[in-house]
Amino acid sequence: MLRLPVIERIWRVRGEVALDHPLSAAEAFARLDPLFATAGTHYAVEGERLTYTKRNPSAQDKLATFTSGTLDVVQDRGRARLAFDLSSTALLLCFLAPLLFLAFGQIAETVNAWEKAGAETSEADKDEDEKPKPVRKLNPIDEMLGAPAPEDPNAKKDKDEEEEERHSPVEAYVLAGLFFVIYLVGRVLEPWLVKRRLRAALARPTERERAPATPA
Amino acid sequence: MSGTRVGKRIIGADAPVIVGWENIGRVEGGPIKQFVFTWFQPVMLFAAILFWYYAPNWLAVASTAIAIRLSFTVLLLALEWVNPRYRSWQLTWKEFATDVFYVGLGMTFIGMIESYIGDGAIIAAVQGAFDWDKFSWFTGLPLLLQAVLISMIFDLGQYWMHRGMHNWYPLWLTHAPHHYITQLNINKGAVGNPVELFLIGLGIGGFFDFLPRAFLLAGAIGMTVSVYQHINVRFNTPRWWRFIFNTVEHHSVHHSQDYEATRSNYSGTWIIWDRIFGTCVDGEAEVLGMEGGRRMDIGETMVFPFREGYRSARAQIRRRFGHSEPGARQLEPAE
Repeated sequence: MLRLPVIERIWRVRGEVALDHPLSAAEAFARLDPLFATAGTHYAVEGERLTYTKRNPSAQDKLATFTSGTLDVVQDRGRARLAFDLSSTALLLCFLAPLLFLAFGQIAETVNAWEKAGAETSEADKDEDEKPKPVRKLNPIDEMLGAPAPEDPNAKKDKDEEEEERHSPVEAYVLAGLFFVIYLVGRVLEPWLVKRRLRAALARPTERERAPATPA
Repeated sequence: MSGTRVGKRIIGADAPVIVGWENIGRVEGGPIKQFVFTWFQPVMLFAAILFWYYAPNWLAVASTAIAIRLSFTVLLLALEWVNPRYRSWQLTWKEFATDVFYVGLGMTFIGMIESYIGDGAIIAAVQGAFDWDKFSWFTGLPLLLQAVLISMIFDLGQYWMHRGMHNWYPLWLTHAPHHYITQLNINKGAVGNPVELFLIGLGIGGFFDFLPRAFLLAGAIGMTVSVYQHINVRFNTPRWWRFIFNTVEHHSVHHSQDYEATRSNYSGTWIIWDRIFGTCVDGEAEVLGMEGGRRMDIGETMVFPFREGYRSARAQIRRRFGHSEPGARQLEPAE
């Protein structure tokens, strides 16, 4: 399989959690079970490895951001740790989202330029039907309460001669920047949260572990 | 589940819905928190009205409204963090990113399409065909009255469009993805198929030549009332407010997993439209969504109306020409 270690870091998260108490792989995975026993999640344990995939995880799924991954219990010099390697479609899409909004911005600019070119050729027809607009007056109640009077629409027209473009590309560019920020926040926050959730789950004994041992 | 009788209907037979105001949750905490979350909504409404009423002309422009809207959204996100209505609706990074995507789509792509075939273009065409100067007496009305009229007329249009979406299958197909949201957050109003977002954005408020300031005031009313439809904040909403205006309580009933409950509370701002037309159900719900709370991802949201429309049309044609289609999935419109 093709590996792209640097690029993969955009959507792949790797890390490990030290197991404070010595746990076998089966015990560790039993403690992690509530994290995976959720709607749309398929997982399988083979020896010391747990592999999972999620399809449309629910909004409150603790691992919703990472839709596939593997977790390994590694025994190393008497100490056990849980190594995880997770992939996130959400992080990848969020990383790519600025490109989409940059494209929308470019489309807006292109359409503006195209319409401007079209408008210049038909400039002559436009000047004909210029009717002065009536000047609106406020209701006496509003005048008494001190609301500012409406502007003369005819005076405003001269000022706005520059004519506004139909589509503003600014929103699209701001959104592209916003998605880049959201990606950066997610790339830092989500791995941190995953680590915290795995650590908390591993520290929590299962029902079976909590139950007092029945005398034989 | 037995449900509660409301008029001729049984609400809450399929999924839990609290009907009536007696048993809904209250703000928990000290007197300051109680005070803030009781008066926040009315104070913001009156502050917005005062601002747009007295702002000088150079400030009373659309770009100011956009800046205020953005700042207000950030404030409301903070309130969701501080005082959530339900823990099960709490915003996650992924939900936030998804919501911003839909908001962004509305601000860019859908906005561009609307500028050609949206209500602005339709209104310009209709205005050219009639002598609308006959309605110029409207602009002589007091500003606040104009603003309330604009808001109510626009909301009446939205009410019937929304009700139509819940009663006519082709329109329902466009609206269904919005009903797959499983929690309410401040940007969830933008979540849905672009066709629906375009349709619901069509308004009839702009036919009359109201004063620009009246439009901005109407926008301020919309911003400080209908914005709370999708919000995960617990408020002690005053009784008079929830009698007149739509609230997150009403809208959570509308988004409930209970089928009958979804057929209520169609208005965006003025719940009195629902009261007048007999579709109002006071109460609240926590368990939201369709198909038992299945979350719909962005890809499916984009293709859903077309895919289901194609499947339904194909099934219809096969039925008509005598071919049975075993196991064909019949998508149930919420009617």
